[in-house]
Amino acid sequence: MKVQSTTGYNIINNWLLKKGNQPFLFQAQTWQEILRKKSGLVNAPTGFGKTYSVFLGAVIDFINDNPTTYQTKKNNGLQLIWITPLKALAKDIGRAMEEVIFELDLKWQVGVRNGDTSISERQKQKRKMPEVLIITPESLHLLLAQKDYPAVFENLKIIAVDEWHELLGSKRGVQVELAISRIVHLPKKNKKQKVSIWGISATIGNLLQAKEVLLSPINEEGVIIKAKVNKQIEVHSIYPDEIEKYPWAGHLGLKLIEKVLPIIAVSRTTLIFINTRGMSERWYQSLLNVEPELAGVIALHHGSIEQALRLWVEDALHEGKLKAVICTASLDLGVDFRPVETVIQVGSPKGVARFLQRAGRSGHQPGSVSHIHFLPTHSLELMEAAALKQAMQENMIESKVPRLLCFDVLIQYLSTLAISDGFLPDVIFKEVKTTYCYKEITIEEWKEILYFITEGGNALKAYDDYKKVEIIDGLYKINNRRIAMRHRMHIGTIVSDAMMKVKFLSGGYIGVIEEWFIARLNPGDVFTLSGRNLEYVAIKDMTAMVRKSNAKKSIIPSWQGGRMPLSANLGMMLRQKLDEAADDNNINKAEEIIVLAPLLDLQKQLSHLPKLNQLLVEHIETRDGFHLFVYPFEGRLVHESMAAILAWRISKITPITFSFAMNDYGFELLSDQPIPVDDTNVYELFSPENLFADIQRSVNSTEMARRKFRDISVIGGLIFQGFPGEKVKARHLQNSASLLFNVFTEYDPGNLLIRQAYGEVMEQQMEEERLRNMLERIQACEIIITFPQRLTPFCFPIKADSMRETLSSEKLEDRLKKMQEQLEKDT
Amino acid sequence: MMDFIKHTIFNNSFLLSAARCIFWEEEKALILSDLHFGKTGHFRKNGIAVPQTVFKEDIQRLTAQMQYFKPEYLIIVGDLFHSHANKEMELFLRWRNDFAHFPIKLVIGNHDILPKDWYAKADITCIKGQLQTGPFIFTHDKAECADTENCYVFSGHIHPSVTIFGAAKQSLKFPCFYFNKNYAVLPAFGRFTGLHSIKPAKGDSVYVLAQNKIMQMLG
Repeated sequence: MKVQSTTGYNIINNWLLKKGNQPFLFQAQTWQEILRKKSGLVNAPTGFGKTYSVFLGAVIDFINDNPTTYQTKKNNGLQLIWITPLKALAKDIGRAMEEVIFELDLKWQVGVRNGDTSISERQKQKRKMPEVLIITPESLHLLLAQKDYPAVFENLKIIAVDEWHELLGSKRGVQVELAISRIVHLPKKNKKQKVSIWGISATIGNLLQAKEVLLSPINEEGVIIKAKVNKQIEVHSIYPDEIEKYPWAGHLGLKLIEKVLPIIAVSRTTLIFINTRGMSERWYQSLLNVEPELAGVIALHHGSIEQALRLWVEDALHEGKLKAVICTASLDLGVDFRPVETVIQVGSPKGVARFLQRAGRSGHQPGSVSHIHFLPTHSLELMEAAALKQAMQENMIESKVPRLLCFDVLIQYLSTLAISDGFLPDVIFKEVKTTYCYKEITIEEWKEILYFITEGGNALKAYDDYKKVEIIDGLYKINNRRIAMRHRMHIGTIVSDAMMKVKFLSGGYIGVIEEWFIARLNPGDVFTLSGRNLEYVAIKDMTAMVRKSNAKKSIIPSWQGGRMPLSANLGMMLRQKLDEAADDNNINKAEEIIVLAPLLDLQKQLSHLPKLNQLLVEHIETRDGFHLFVYPFEGRLVHESMAAILAWRISKITPITFSFAMNDYGFELLSDQPIPVDDTNVYELFSPENLFADIQRSVNSTEMARRKFRDISVIGGLIFQGFPGEKVKARHLQNSASLLFNVFTEYDPGNLLIRQAYGEVMEQQMEEERLRNMLERIQACEIIITFPQRLTPFCFPIKADSMRETLSSEKLEDRLKKMQEQLEKDT
Repeated sequence: MMDFIKHTIFNNSFLLSAARCIFWEEEKALILSDLHFGKTGHFRKNGIAVPQTVFKEDIQRLTAQMQYFKPEYLIIVGDLFHSHANKEMELFLRWRNDFAHFPIKLVIGNHDILPKDWYAKADITCIKGQLQTGPFIFTHDKAECADTENCYVFSGHIHPSVTIFGAAKQSLKFPCFYFNKNYAVLPAFGRFTGLHSIKPAKGDSVYVLAQNKIMQMLG
């Protein structure tokens, strides 16, 4: 049946017409597929009616089923689950849905369920489920932890997963997969009824796979519906007045801050994206310093700022009260702020997808152009602007790699089922195997997990009272109320560093900050948070007490996050752009390349400009010692591993020790003796052979695994953080992931969570696959070894970065400036 | 193989064992701190699956130390047990049975919260506050120790460790014995225990425990 000939369609179409709209093609296509009970993926950017595509489909379906009674039928049970990665989005989406319901005079209810939902509201929902439930993945799992949860899903027709591209590739995405595998296999009231699954995703490189992962539990091919939105994006590079020959890196782009002022002035609202929270604090302060008149009309928004303040900033953005907001990835997602006309990206966005997403945050009027300005933090970064432009033209967008075999999430999920109605392993094993994440799980691994949750692994049987999941008549169940309560508290623990609240002595909450940062401070030290200078006084009840400070100098916390590596796609584009720069016959060079000519010429004169099929290796001798610089343009993490492997391989030739440094473009080995890398051995040193074994020997994977284990042990339920009212008792259950890691490594090294930690190191930290691809690429390359007489423009930022590790930022700026001046003079 | 280093205080010889305890030669006493027995059991009872082998190994190590040094009694400067009783303690009681009548003196620590009759049943002499033998005082938490003039204090509680920095910004934490002019802090005997970093001052003696070896830190 054609959707256009149905009652539901006509009602919706008329309603849209009355508002002066009409359905977009992709919306009508989605409605058609929903009518046919199909599943699939809608590929549409934010702000183009993606919510309507699936939501109105559900409404049309309902009207068609109840053509005469749709306006009177109440208490229909849960029809549509709307999974969203962000709590903050739920309210706005709910409001949009309620508007439709009100105007069509349906008797539907829309409920929101997340960490902030009150107990009374939850109780109300338990008695009577709304027709639409907007929920986060964690809260959905909490729903599965309720007694009699299957009844909740009896009438369910559609599970929609919004922003699937954000969830895919994360453990929260795995939570979604598991929840779907349970819900679709639950018995339904109407035996013939089946649940459709709809993902909504921005463009990513592997849309097909994204759909495959989502639909895996229902074993359906499904459809992809693409919104044909031709959003025009214009990228503008911000150039320094004078291109320095040496692209020093110490100034975080602040040198160009004056260039930002006219952009802010001519645009209604500007979002300034900064890669790290620490940098954003510096930028906020500096903007106020150079243009005091901006006080009151600019704001700061990042993950450590108190939620109420962030909400205020968001509201002010909606209302157009702010001229500019300095933000981090905290504003990547979410509803559109219509007043935003311009976006400024400071420093490398590290990937094409993120750059596009940020650009798309501006220019929402139909037909208007999104403007994004790229502000380099060092001049060489301008190459990235050129690379981004081309990547956008060629639509080279990164993929999100789905996670596989996350045992920690599975352990958490099984415990969740065990606290509600209990589970039968045979039934759940079959369901779990339908998911993409666990389709390769072996029966041995499954049994190991069951053994872990029921027996607690190997133990001294006679002297053990391990208790978690008990087996009663074949049903796996948690009966201990305290353990159940603790587990409930733990679902959805967002794993990050231990965070500490920051409060004024006089009362008043400012935000949160990493515990390790506070631990380094002495009373009297001044630091910056939320754009304020604060004097640290003391720690009380897990809260850092502070008072206002008028000190001129302060320490800016350097938050650990935000150090994303350059994506493979962008790295590749960057190599192409360098190729373009190196090509003397090309007369159509990108403007950034033309601007960078002085720098690139110096690089060429001192060393070499690598072509696409070349790898550049530089030997440089300075007062510090013997440097070897290598430029694969593969991102910081791959370079870190490669540096360690190369150092290990060289040390097999001759006894030698190194220190390393790296950035997204290349890496450095530094030694006090000449480094024996030359034309005779260089291909061997970069060989993909024995890669795995060499990684094991060279990289301190134990330390990396220890870091990964932190998040695994929390998700796997091994770390208990205590809950209100249980303070004293919980003290005896306090524990650190690092201690657990030691104990397991020593006494139960085969434990599957330890294995997972090492696996995650290989996949995510080492990016083993990318490393291997790089080495294979290098084997087919011409490796150019040069011996420059002094530091080159390429190596300078790496050198700068390595000094950042040991020097405070002010000292660093001074030192770098001197170095740069000296070098410029020499040339 | 037993690795230890001699440390002398007031002409008394204290053998610091790499197995995280001290043998006091003159008094023929083995001094231990922060064993936290029953900790793995406490976690497991609460649904947190920590391998129990740690506990077994702790007990075996204690036995080995007793067999090697042949002390006449044990001085425990607190936190023999981690929390409330659990089944794991039965293994301790069985061990206790094998060494029946061997005197154990426990200076109560903040974790020692078992009922009095439990200690009586296990034949453990409990001392509140501090135990004094000659010029030596034994207590759990140095910070809560009163008048110590002309005395030397042995304490535990903080699980001391030092951080040693290596190349490439890597650092490792090791448990240690800490001695200054007036007092000493013992490392935690139990292996399922956390570490607290200390910053030794000039003139302090620190002995680092790493991979079954003990060595004096120079500095």
